Amino acid sequence: MATSEKLDLYKENKKEYAATSKPALIEMHQATYLSISGEGAPGGTAFSDAIGALYGVAFTIKMTRKFAGKRDYAVCKLEALWPNLNCEAAPDKEHWTWDLMIRTPEFITQKHLRQAIETLLKRRKGTDVQRVELREIKEGLCVQALHVGPYENEGKTIAAMRAFGEKQKMRFTGPHHEVYLSDPRRVAPSKLKTILREPLMKAEE
Amino acid sequence: MRTLTLYDYKRRILRVLVHIQQHLDEPLPLEELAEVACFSAYHFHRVFKGMVGESVKEHLRRLRLERAASQLKLGSASVIDIALGAGYDSHEAFTRSFKAAFGTAPSQFRLARRVEAARVPSGVHYRERMKMRFRTLRRGGSMKVEIKRLKPMRVAFMRHVGPYGEVGKTWEAFLTVMGKDGYLGGNTMMLGICHDDPEVTPPAKLRYDACLTVDESFSPNGDIGVQTVAGGDYAMTTHTGPYNHLGRTYAEFMGQWLPRSGRELSNAPCFEVYLNDPQSTPPEELLTDIYAPLQKQLQVARR
Repeated sequence: MATSEKLDLYKENKKEYAATSKPALIEMHQATYLSISGEGAPGGTAFSDAIGALYGVAFTIKMTRKFAGKRDYAVCKLEALWPNLNCEAAPDKEHWTWDLMIRTPEFITQKHLRQAIETLLKRRKGTDVQRVELREIKEGLCVQALHVGPYENEGKTIAAMRAFGEKQKMRFTGPHHEVYLSDPRRVAPSKLKTILREPLMKAEE
Repeated sequence: MRTLTLYDYKRRILRVLVHIQQHLDEPLPLEELAEVACFSAYHFHRVFKGMVGESVKEHLRRLRLERAASQLKLGSASVIDIALGAGYDSHEAFTRSFKAAFGTAPSQFRLARRVEAARVPSGVHYRERMKMRFRTLRRGGSMKVEIKRLKPMRVAFMRHVGPYGEVGKTWEAFLTVMGKDGYLGGNTMMLGICHDDPEVTPPAKLRYDACLTVDESFSPNGDIGVQTVAGGDYAMTTHTGPYNHLGRTYAEFMGQWLPRSGRELSNAPCFEVYLNDPQSTPPEELLTDIYAPLQKQLQVARR
């Protein structure tokens, strides 16, 4: 592949993003993400501001590289980790915690991140950008499925994924991971597509 | 006092259709027709296409061909004179268009007994009593339109002149420069202002502004200018799908929703707001909000 060709991480790692409504096992390799964590109801102010900050940083890094003539890449879809979801007693929505993430090529470094944050602060695009981090995550073995429909109905798909894992004598390690393929601003809730992912490991006898 | 009705829109389009039939020998530029219909030149073409079912250009071409057919049948003028009268500059070009419409060459058509042009859905044909059938103006159609009151928006922009299919290149150059300077953070909106209609203006001359909302701190430099998108009432509908299908949504919006809305468009261009990133979104899932500027709620005196 020519270096000038645009890099698309989802296409590059097709197996990790192929999902159907039937749960399946996949192996997640180490991946780099821009990430911002916080607490609050999904869709609330804290959540929306965090998304704005995360995308701001992602596009500033991408465009700075592009302007310098470096290899271009597509900014990936929004993803999120939901650590609370695995608790026995999940707190009410207002206290849900989340890590919003955008998968990013591994050639993006802390230096690029710092630069982008400085640039955005200079433009007074809000101080939330300072909370954006660069992380590497290796989830390993996971069960994954495609959920089609409103986010509130994910329970059913998750239950199917759990049953699938338990049948294979697996233990869920978390955190619950989601990849938002559709845009919730205009897509009808019944048509929203979301990849659900649950890391797991062989249960000890 | 009453508001503008569907009847007003129909009457105005009918006025244009009659004017066209009476002046087929004249060039009939769009501005002139827009004036006859009292429509803003920015939007007239889309309203016409949406309500009549064919563009002004297609309509003129068809009527001139139908007139040529009647001259072939009833008169003795030579084919080339008739071709010139129909606005063609060569025998070949005329024959090609004529064949496409009547299924036979002009010389054969003259000899044949009865050949008729295909009927069009609008029912408007040369020298026939006009029994206009406007396009499916179903009451309360499926189109979802919201009226929004917008504040004026300050935008940085880069102008594209050329085919619409190539605006992507202008966007890339624009976003790269703006992005590296940190203008893509927060709630920045991506707007496109289309100054010309791709069905009217030749592709090489189409003007389009790729815009990003900016605050007062931004100052123009190089290829990047600043303008203000006027505030006021806008009708907004969302187009779902590839950008090259936007024309269909415009036709429904202007030709079918607007005449039933009781509102009138003001003399300013429409703009589009792009909600997602075409680099990571499949074309059929792309979302575009189309904003059409409305005049203040117009009250027409009852006569």
